[in-house]
Amino acid sequence: MIREATGIVSPEGGGAKTLVVIFLRGGADGLTMVPPIGDRDYYAARPTLAVKESDILALGDTHYGLHPSMEAMQRLFHEGDLSIYPAVGSDDQTRSHFYAQDLMEHGGSEAGGWLGRFMRFREGESPGALSAIALGKVMPEVLRGAPAAAVIDSINRFSLSQRGEPTSKIETELAELYGRDQTLMREVAKDTLQAIKRIQELSKKDNQPNHGAQYAVDSFSQSLRQTAQLIRAQVGLEAVSLDLNGWDSHFAQDTLITPLMVRLSEGLSNFRRDLGHLMEKVTVVVMTEFGRRVAENSSFGTDHGRGGVMFALSEGGGGRVIGDRPELESGILVGPGDVPVQMDYRAALKPILSHHGAGESFAKIFPSWSLKHSSQES
Amino acid sequence: MEAGRLGDYSRRFFLRGTTAASLLSATSCRKIQNLLGLKEEHVLCLPPPNEEIDLISHAISRLSFGPTPSDYHHVKKLGVTHREAVNAYIEEQLNPQGIDDHHAQRAMRRFESLHAPLGEMYEYKEKHLLEQLTSATLMGAVQSKRQLYELMVHFWSDHFNIDVSKKDCKWLKAADDREVIRKHTFGNFLDLVSASALSPAMLWYLDGRQNRKRQPADYPNENYARELLELHTLGLNGGYTQKDVMEVARCLSGWTVRSKKRFFKGRVEFDPASHDDGAKVVLGHQISAGGGQKDLKDVLKILCEHPSTAQHLAEKLCVRFIADQPSAQSIKDVAETFMATSGDLTKVLRRVFSTEEFLTGPRGGKLKKPFELIVSSLRATRAEISSTANLIDYLVSLGHAPFQYPSPDGYPDVAAPWVGGLFWRWHFAIGLARNQIHPKIRIREAKLFQEAGGIAGFSAVLFGRKPTQEELMSFHRSGEPLAMAIASPAFQWR
Repeated sequence: MIREATGIVSPEGGGAKTLVVIFLRGGADGLTMVPPIGDRDYYAARPTLAVKESDILALGDTHYGLHPSMEAMQRLFHEGDLSIYPAVGSDDQTRSHFYAQDLMEHGGSEAGGWLGRFMRFREGESPGALSAIALGKVMPEVLRGAPAAAVIDSINRFSLSQRGEPTSKIETELAELYGRDQTLMREVAKDTLQAIKRIQELSKKDNQPNHGAQYAVDSFSQSLRQTAQLIRAQVGLEAVSLDLNGWDSHFAQDTLITPLMVRLSEGLSNFRRDLGHLMEKVTVVVMTEFGRRVAENSSFGTDHGRGGVMFALSEGGGGRVIGDRPELESGILVGPGDVPVQMDYRAALKPILSHHGAGESFAKIFPSWSLKHSSQES
Repeated sequence: MEAGRLGDYSRRFFLRGTTAASLLSATSCRKIQNLLGLKEEHVLCLPPPNEEIDLISHAISRLSFGPTPSDYHHVKKLGVTHREAVNAYIEEQLNPQGIDDHHAQRAMRRFESLHAPLGEMYEYKEKHLLEQLTSATLMGAVQSKRQLYELMVHFWSDHFNIDVSKKDCKWLKAADDREVIRKHTFGNFLDLVSASALSPAMLWYLDGRQNRKRQPADYPNENYARELLELHTLGLNGGYTQKDVMEVARCLSGWTVRSKKRFFKGRVEFDPASHDDGAKVVLGHQISAGGGQKDLKDVLKILCEHPSTAQHLAEKLCVRFIADQPSAQSIKDVAETFMATSGDLTKVLRRVFSTEEFLTGPRGGKLKKPFELIVSSLRATRAEISSTANLIDYLVSLGHAPFQYPSPDGYPDVAAPWVGGLFWRWHFAIGLARNQIHPKIRIREAKLFQEAGGIAGFSAVLFGRKPTQEELMSFHRSGEPLAMAIASPAFQWR
């Protein structure tokens, strides 16, 4: 069984394009990360939380800037690698984390995640065992339905035995019993057994970051580091999902999210540096389930809103603000006072997925949305 | 008839308790333990004898964290027919006070910080509290004979999820576990929600303590109100609007909890000056102005009596005990009992276990979540555990450490999100069978096999049915039959 299974993994994993999806869970505040420049309504709505105009990091001649803690991302923007989407969101109206995250990860009312469907329906050869990886603890919704997906928290601990004794006889029998299983575990078992073999080979090789990249020690930065390691090792990695949690800033927003913005900004910048020219085959997408209410609440925080920000990092594909966010005058706000969604996240993803080989399958990746969208266009 | 039988059982357990107590005074503890241990554990290992999971094995696997080698025998002798035995087992488990559990309770007393009064909890290091609470939860699940009770504690801990990593929850979750979850586990739903609403840990976790309206321009903090509607009571499609969320938040404004910097830290209090005392309309019900702190009681009653709440809770319980996608009929039946008994949780559970689908529907079709897999392995192998440290590490690797789920909806209770974790399940199985998890965690393979009649008998204990020929051959070929049996597909399900 194992012999058959390993045949699917191409010995040369190189050539694969890798899409890294970072989910900022909790609803990240777009108006703090990407503040508007010279919008009086912003300062009126956020008497304590607005970023001071003199502190905002400019983005060329656009009327948006970045929070002062995100200098590294300003650099990525000016180097032409980072794109910024100031008012992205979904059609979710519930303002519920779980519903909005599910909707954004599933790509609509479908079961299973859009990244999983991308892996299943994209053009080209069928994906290998290490093609899709979630760095974390549980399988994120966005990857559900991928033909192969492994959840790992650290590639260094990837052996079935505590003390490194052989487990090959057990692995053979696991392949045997799970191979006959009738449930959804059969495929997972097959992929897991392949992944074990592949990563064991990988962890023997040199694994220091390149080009002077220095990642912080938190788990998000380390996940980025390991992602770069897997890309460098060319094991056929095509989709990676990782989370940066803790953006639900109902209370004391500044102290809560400033460290997260630093982590994101520095993490992306180190990842970019680490990969060097390999970045030409990599895109990083940063998304969040929704933005936050324009007006701050009484506890120096903000409540759940609608339109939020998205970022995309790719070699030479950025340096642009994509889409627009209107000035925050009250007439333009939606619901209880939220930034309107000016660009659907699926529209923002479309050219990115297409670059990664979605080809004609885009309609299969986002079936319900594509249907509605194409009928509107015609 | 049923009441009479229940009476008999209570008496029997009571008698056993007194016998043990009087013996204790006469001779040493260790001897008694051995005596009781011998009687309970060694003589009575009866592997399930059928090719398919029978009703007894089904009930054990759903009402507990998994069978010990003696459980099948214990349940079987409770009645003449399987159905009778299972009914008696259900009644036994629904009445935890009647179950002599002194062994587990003595073990629990070791976790002394969990018994401290609220204010004193702040004196402990936060890591210590979390470690004690997690260890106690794990050991309770492994050792307690009140298995259904422990299982429901687990269920409510997810339903009213609190992530200890948020602010003062580090110190206060242990009190929430004791005063909210454990106190009301088999009680009334309204009491449970009411206790949770004023739990210091919950007031921290969902920002209720910050929900105040002091000036007309203040927006209430609607975080708790939203989760109360969406997760704790009506459910996402329960028929409420954004306006209802805001009105509920207004009703709950003014309740807060003292921070650790003040005297009486952790104390919950109501500040009338921060309460929005105007009239409110919640789900069509008028709440008149000037209600003050009574608004909380009124609004929780409205939510708990709403039919969507019965429906939502019925569905969650059916998903827990019956199937990932339970039938509409089962949900309807349980919801009706929920409505008719005003959320009497013992009666609601009894109804779950009497649905046709529970009794005769598919068996072995619920994937064990990682916590359940680990606990069921430890129970089945009668592991001797004097340190839980590495077990907690496994729970973290498998993404299922208690009290650490990062969002208010609690760990998912269906298979799909958990199948990705096979690697760590196998890793654990191999580690446990090789006695490599921790020097202070020991299993005795030879003894287990001897009592059960070899790997065939022991895997019947694990699976609730006899193993197939293919399974047995594979176990033997692997050279490590115990590790293989625990890592095998069949043991991942309950």
